[in-house]
Amino acid sequence: MTGPHHPSPLEWLEPRGEPRAALRGDTPPRNRMAVAVLSLVGAFLAFYLLAANLGWTPPVPCGSGDCATVQSSKYAKVGPLPVSGIGVAGYLALLALSLAGLQGRLIRSRLIPLLLFGGALFGVLFSGYLTYLEAAVIEAWCRYCVVSAIIITIVFVATLPELKRIRAGIRT
Amino acid sequence: MKNFYIIILAVAVVGGGVLYYAIGGGTPAVEPVEVSDAELTELAKPAYVYGDPDAPFTIMEFADYQCGSCKRFAVMVKPQVDEEYISSGRAKLEIYDFPLVNLHPHAFLAARAARCAGDQDLYPEYHDLLFDTQNDWFEMASAVGHFKDLAKQLDLDARAFNGCLDSDRHAKGVSANMELGQASGVNSTPTLFVHEGGPPVYRLGGAGFLDIQRFMETDGAEN
Repeated sequence: MTGPHHPSPLEWLEPRGEPRAALRGDTPPRNRMAVAVLSLVGAFLAFYLLAANLGWTPPVPCGSGDCATVQSSKYAKVGPLPVSGIGVAGYLALLALSLAGLQGRLIRSRLIPLLLFGGALFGVLFSGYLTYLEAAVIEAWCRYCVVSAIIITIVFVATLPELKRIRAGIRT
Repeated sequence: MKNFYIIILAVAVVGGGVLYYAIGGGTPAVEPVEVSDAELTELAKPAYVYGDPDAPFTIMEFADYQCGSCKRFAVMVKPQVDEEYISSGRAKLEIYDFPLVNLHPHAFLAARAARCAGDQDLYPEYHDLLFDTQNDWFEMASAVGHFKDLAKQLDLDARAFNGCLDSDRHAKGVSANMELGQASGVNSTPTLFVHEGGPPVYRLGGAGFLDIQRFMETDGAEN
């Protein structure tokens, strides 16, 4: 027995032009979960470095004097902003985006993949530049900065699936 | 999704706890503290004494580890004083802390760091390292890490040194030295006084070797 067709809530919410197959049975993307967890870890790490930079904590307990060298170098700031502060803001932005991208309709948002991938790409490039400065210019390594560079690299890899979503969005 | 939120919550709790411990786990005293009259009497004594405690002449130096002139005194003048007067047993050199905290944000901590090294009998070595590396830590936002690195260079017991530095240990001793200096009219560093075991105490006009030599060879010889 068939009755009159009632549109499902999915259809009510369906953005115009979005391929229907992509809308049904969507589960929260696991890569965004990974981005959220890693960004939270990165935010704590960056906040710790920021606190040390501002003198709120005693020491960044490095095994050598290198952390002090890196933290006190002129490259530890971009204008008036401590690099670690930029890190905190970046990680929190990625955390917010990835959490938003796990919620209901926003799973299918076209903007979130762009912002997530773009943010992670900027982060990994900026972090790469800082790592280059540590290696070639300052000639000192801060292990916490290196850990942060590793985290943002993994975050970037975790955002690669967003490219498919970006392409799918552009095609429609 | 439930597992995901559990993981996020766990990371937030652990991260927040670590951060709380890191920020609140130990706050080094970096500014003078109040000293009672009784404490002042007990603590207004030198941070370190170079030379024979029974030497007839006493040279008192009020010094600031972040002060460039104090560095010059330590590097250029003190070796001559050592050679001429201290090693011969004619004079001793007493170091008093007088961090100019309004000008030098790390000076108070540096004075405490040197005393923390003194707890492990390496005050003179740490004193020299502080001045040798002054240019490195002068403009740091926080010099705590650098001071701990210096302790490692001297193979000090890191746990004991870090615990000392991250606390308010010696804050009263440094503050008492500052009060003694202020009461004696010290307003710049290095300031030198010389006496022969008691009053009168002469304040030297400068902190060069010639200032000390002039006193020791003329005024001091007459007293």
